Amino acid sequence: MLVFQSVILGLLLGGLYALLAAGLTLYFGIMRVVMIAHSAFLILAAYLAWWTNERLGIDPLLSLVVTVPLFFGAGVLLQRGLLSRLRPATLTMMSVLITFAIALIIEGLLGYAFSGTQRRIQLGYGTASFDLFGARVAVVKLIAFGLAVVSLAGLYLLMKRTQFGWALRATIQHQDAARLVGIDTERTAGFGFGLGLATAAVGGTALSLDTTIYPSLHWHWIGPLMAIIVVGGLGSVPGAAAAALVLGLAQSLLQIPMGATWAQTVFYVALFATLAVRPQGFFGGRLAQRF
Amino acid sequence: MPNASKSLLSYGVPALVLVAAIAVFPSLAPNPYILSSGVIVLNWAVLATAWNFVGGFTGYISLGHGALAGLGGYATGLLITKADLPSFVALIAAAVLVAALAVPIGFAALRVRGASFVIVSIALVLILLLVFQSWSSLTGGSRGLVVPRPFPGMLRPEHHRVFFFLYGGLLLIALATWWLLDRSRFGMGLKAIREDEDKAESLGTPTFAYKLTVFVISAAFTALAGGLYALWFGDLDPVFQFSVLTGSYVVLMALLGGVRNLYGPVLGAIVVGIALEYFKVEFGNTPLHLVTTGLLLGLVVMFMPDGVIPSLTTLVQRLRKREDSSIREMSAADLAEQRREREAANS
Repeated sequence: MLVFQSVILGLLLGGLYALLAAGLTLYFGIMRVVMIAHSAFLILAAYLAWWTNERLGIDPLLSLVVTVPLFFGAGVLLQRGLLSRLRPATLTMMSVLITFAIALIIEGLLGYAFSGTQRRIQLGYGTASFDLFGARVAVVKLIAFGLAVVSLAGLYLLMKRTQFGWALRATIQHQDAARLVGIDTERTAGFGFGLGLATAAVGGTALSLDTTIYPSLHWHWIGPLMAIIVVGGLGSVPGAAAAALVLGLAQSLLQIPMGATWAQTVFYVALFATLAVRPQGFFGGRLAQRF
Repeated sequence: MPNASKSLLSYGVPALVLVAAIAVFPSLAPNPYILSSGVIVLNWAVLATAWNFVGGFTGYISLGHGALAGLGGYATGLLITKADLPSFVALIAAAVLVAALAVPIGFAALRVRGASFVIVSIALVLILLLVFQSWSSLTGGSRGLVVPRPFPGMLRPEHHRVFFFLYGGLLLIALATWWLLDRSRFGMGLKAIREDEDKAESLGTPTFAYKLTVFVISAAFTALAGGLYALWFGDLDPVFQFSVLTGSYVVLMALLGGVRNLYGPVLGAIVVGIALEYFKVEFGNTPLHLVTTGLLLGLVVMFMPDGVIPSLTTLVQRLRKREDSSIREMSAADLAEQRREREAANS
């Protein structure tokens, strides 16, 4: 029964990983940028959700109304203002440094504004749970999973069904060709980054529902997320989603014999093993070769 | 020989200044605290120079060198306490161990180009922090690991002085190695990787073997610095040894000073190292450290990715000569001058 419980929890966690990894995949697809600050924005969104609940006394989910557009704008600004101004020759390395610097700034400012104290949202339905074939599933975890699934589905529809989505995918596939058929690739790239950062806003709010947060928490997320996009093979959103579910499940199952701390190492082991054995990832697309 | 005098000026004179500074600083330092700050700054200088073996030659940026230093420190400490090795034998053995460990790490990190290296370097810090905190039966966990002093009975100021000279020696060895590599065929291959890895490979440079070799050399020097720190400081804590911040300070120092210059990382280490010490005294440990580091790193990356030395030299040149700046190390005019000289010598 414990195993079944872990499988359920692992899948729920995997959903959140998948949403966040989708954002990272977008950035990499658009500009070959590894965005270290992704998880720092995730924690920032979680703090904003906590603050909404604490100060304004309303449901943390309502903070999405503000954070999603805010993060979208921040993503556009980040791409237009900083990343697109770096020299193309050293873009990969320098973009890592600049996003790393942003992560440090966000962590420092969070620590300054809210102190290093651990925070947790107290919700009326925070402890509610229900029975699913004998496994206890917390309602908040299900809400978080639901948010992730809805956003992923929305992202999928946006990419496949709208004109902007086509332009974005064309930009990812071949920037010069996209420009030749009249796509404003620079603007599209900016909006793509905004979209990626919006996933961090949704993810952070979902995370805040049932997690204790503190400023340096983002380091615990960036490692697993990096591992997921490498194992999944860069450039493929389905690959990232599959890797997210598999690794989330593995982490959850390994917690039974190994405990929570050691179970985290599964991500790093998977990362090293993938790079040593199959560097292009297991679900990898064309892009992964250039990683 | 204009080239020889130029190289004497740009390598020899700073080397003399550096040696002299290392030799006289301990006797000029007004109190033991300043001397201990000097040891810390030299530690940064060695770390930044060691980092520059990878970062400067190949252009691969590692954010995880702090972890290699931490490994060197812990390996030294554990070899002394658990294996009863003499202090300095343990130091060398630890460096060899870390270099050996760098082979599989580099193998995974360097097989593909670019970003995976950075990812692995960050992952290295995170996983080692996790392991060293959790495996408390071996490492002492969060309680820390006490490393016995190599010179029992030595007074504190004398202890600082000895380690200042040890670090100074290590720094000079690291600089000499960098200088030798810079002039060798091996170094030429590494720089070719930095400029264009595809072209380097198609011209027959064994890029993977070169990258891996230089990563191992860099890891060995980093481990030596970390090991010396363990012997000097005497107390290791996973949170500080495996901190992402260490790696980012090192990158900041090297970039600020200039990665293509032999003395760039040393200069960066002196500037940033002194600033870090000053901030620690003035403001203590606040989250604003992170903000300042982040802002500085961002500014350096955005506005002077080549470092202070090249930025200043080009500025001075522009002020003096109003020359057009060029990306080539030698301009066409220089080459024409050389050709004329050669022809004059031949005829």
